[in-house]
Amino acid sequence: MLGSAMQEKVLALFKDYDPSVKAVIAEVLALEQEHLSMKNPRGVVEKIEEIVERIAKNETR
Amino acid sequence: MKLDNIEIENFRQYGGIQRATFSTHSQKNITVFNGNNGCGKTSLFIAINWCLYGEGAENIGELINKEAARKTPAGQEVCARVKLSFRHGGERFISSRELAGIKREDGSVETRTKPSFTLMRIQADGQAIEIKNPIGMMNTILPSNVRTFFLFDGEKIDNFARPDSRDEVRYAIYNVLKLEILERAKNHLSQVAAEHRKELKQASSGELLELLETEDRKRKEKENAINKIQELERERDSAKRKIVDIEKRLRELQSARNLQLQRDGIQEQLERTENDLRNAVKEIREITIRYHSIIASDAIEKARAILDKKRERGEIPSGIRQQFVRDLLEQGKCICGRPIKEGDPSHTHLQGILKRSVSGALEDKVLNTNVTLNILETQNAGIYNQLESAMKRRVQFTDRIRDLQSELDDVTRQLQGSPIEEIAELEGKRKTFEMDIERHHLEIGKCRGIIEDRDREIAELTKQIEQAQKRKSKNELLTRKISLAQQSADAVDKIYQELGEDVRQSIEAKTQEIFKKLVWKESHFKNISLGPDYQLEVIDRYGLPARPELSAGERQVLSLSFITAMVRVSEEEAPIVMDTPFGRLSSEHRASITENLPGLTPQLVLFVTDEELHDEARKNLEKRIGKEYRLIFDPKISSTTIEEAT
Repeated sequence: MLGSAMQEKVLALFKDYDPSVKAVIAEVLALEQEHLSMKNPRGVVEKIEEIVERIAKNETR
Repeated sequence: MKLDNIEIENFRQYGGIQRATFSTHSQKNITVFNGNNGCGKTSLFIAINWCLYGEGAENIGELINKEAARKTPAGQEVCARVKLSFRHGGERFISSRELAGIKREDGSVETRTKPSFTLMRIQADGQAIEIKNPIGMMNTILPSNVRTFFLFDGEKIDNFARPDSRDEVRYAIYNVLKLEILERAKNHLSQVAAEHRKELKQASSGELLELLETEDRKRKEKENAINKIQELERERDSAKRKIVDIEKRLRELQSARNLQLQRDGIQEQLERTENDLRNAVKEIREITIRYHSIIASDAIEKARAILDKKRERGEIPSGIRQQFVRDLLEQGKCICGRPIKEGDPSHTHLQGILKRSVSGALEDKVLNTNVTLNILETQNAGIYNQLESAMKRRVQFTDRIRDLQSELDDVTRQLQGSPIEEIAELEGKRKTFEMDIERHHLEIGKCRGIIEDRDREIAELTKQIEQAQKRKSKNELLTRKISLAQQSADAVDKIYQELGEDVRQSIEAKTQEIFKKLVWKESHFKNISLGPDYQLEVIDRYGLPARPELSAGERQVLSLSFITAMVRVSEEEAPIVMDTPFGRLSSEHRASITENLPGLTPQLVLFVTDEELHDEARKNLEKRIGKEYRLIFDPKISSTTIEEAT
């Protein structure tokens, strides 16, 4: 996990972005964190596609 | 992470079950394992690494204790096991790794499977719950790729202080500070956007296809420019370092020393003056942006003259409102009470004013313009002096810079014309490197311009693509997915750049602070720099790079300062576990490290020999040692036991 000061910095840098972009980034970062120990984790890109699709669909509803 | 206790069973030279408890006290945060060479310090260090990550043990066949294997009857199972209890984020965990094997008839042990690893979470009621993905969990606690920055051999950590260590330094920062997460997120999101673009291209034709191809081309051109900048920056930094080396050599040569020192002085003045010039230009820019009316002073004067002339000619009202005159005529009475009758001179005069006056709307505009012009004129008077002073300073600084550059050219000429071949040759090379740097700056600027142009074009194309797509009312979701993935990738990239720079500066400052505490020649070293190219450098009191001259001990101290700085900046909650921490250090460095290091980490575990820890070093640590153990090796059974020191 990122340290609290680092987390604050990251959150401050993201605060002006569109809510959908923020939602995508938050989920993608959590996913990347889970797979950080693997050099070439399998299935991450596919999971990111799912995240993007779900949030894009919610937006267009 | 804070280590609680360890239990080792038949692991390498540790026969039977051996236990030790780590100190978790905030003040007495050190645990010391004391043992002679060959007593099992490194084995214990390996046991911690192996238990948590399955790493550190090169030959897995040698993990099972030989005495335990000897005692086990043939055909029976024998196993090595390490159990480590620790706390993290307010929770307690027990990590356990075990390697089992069957004893053969010939006395050897055949390990049948890979070591098994379990990680349990201990609940408040004492119940243990097995974690389904123990490796994943360990990686959120303390990722395996950063473990070497927390658990390390003290004698082998000087790699950060070696020349050309920038890749290791960058790797360490990106991993410990978790910047790699952002880098990966950016790359994967860009990949998703690129794949969707390809998909959309296949599903599209005509205008949209052309737009998508153009966008693709522009993105590639931007990428090429970014890569080109990185390459140019590397070459430029290399040329800069070579100039530093040449100038250092010129300072050492008797016949060139004075001219080089003269150049140092001029360069320093030049740097200062360029800074002054930048400030003056900034001030002018701020004044003209904030008080933009000042650049329109002539126009304001002209506007005022035109209004005055028109007023004199009666073409615009002189401040008397049309409605007011009409009211007087209708009421037939002046404001002083005198009657105004038709045919009277006063009535004729008012009729004249009414004839010359204009509509109410224009009248309002004229009056408002008058007020605005008055405000602008008053404001400009004060600002003008300020602007004039800044402009004068700018001219002075520009002239001074020209003079200083001419002085520098003169020094170069003298050095190039030196009868001593080495000096002339060095200066010639220096000049070439300087021209290279200038060329690189120009090229970098050109590339940055290309990037800006492409960004603008891409933004425009993105809009056009979205519009074209909407017109076709097809693939709307796909377009939005591309846009969302690309926007997210760009946002992560921007943050990645900003955070990277922020982190680099924080680590630089922290490394300097810690290095000054730990190194005994603190007055000799002026500064630590961690450049944008991640080159860790020590600057001595003469302002020169001193890393190549550092002793082995000083390199170790520099690396330790860097690691500790990273840990502090990352706020990673983890112990520092050091094997042979002071073996290569002089007594001065031992003293300063033992004095300061315990305060820089929440928990410190040291594996030391008696020789490493005596005199002042022992005295410094004494007050902070919470637990101390002796490793006792029994040569009769070739096994080590752990005994608490009293």
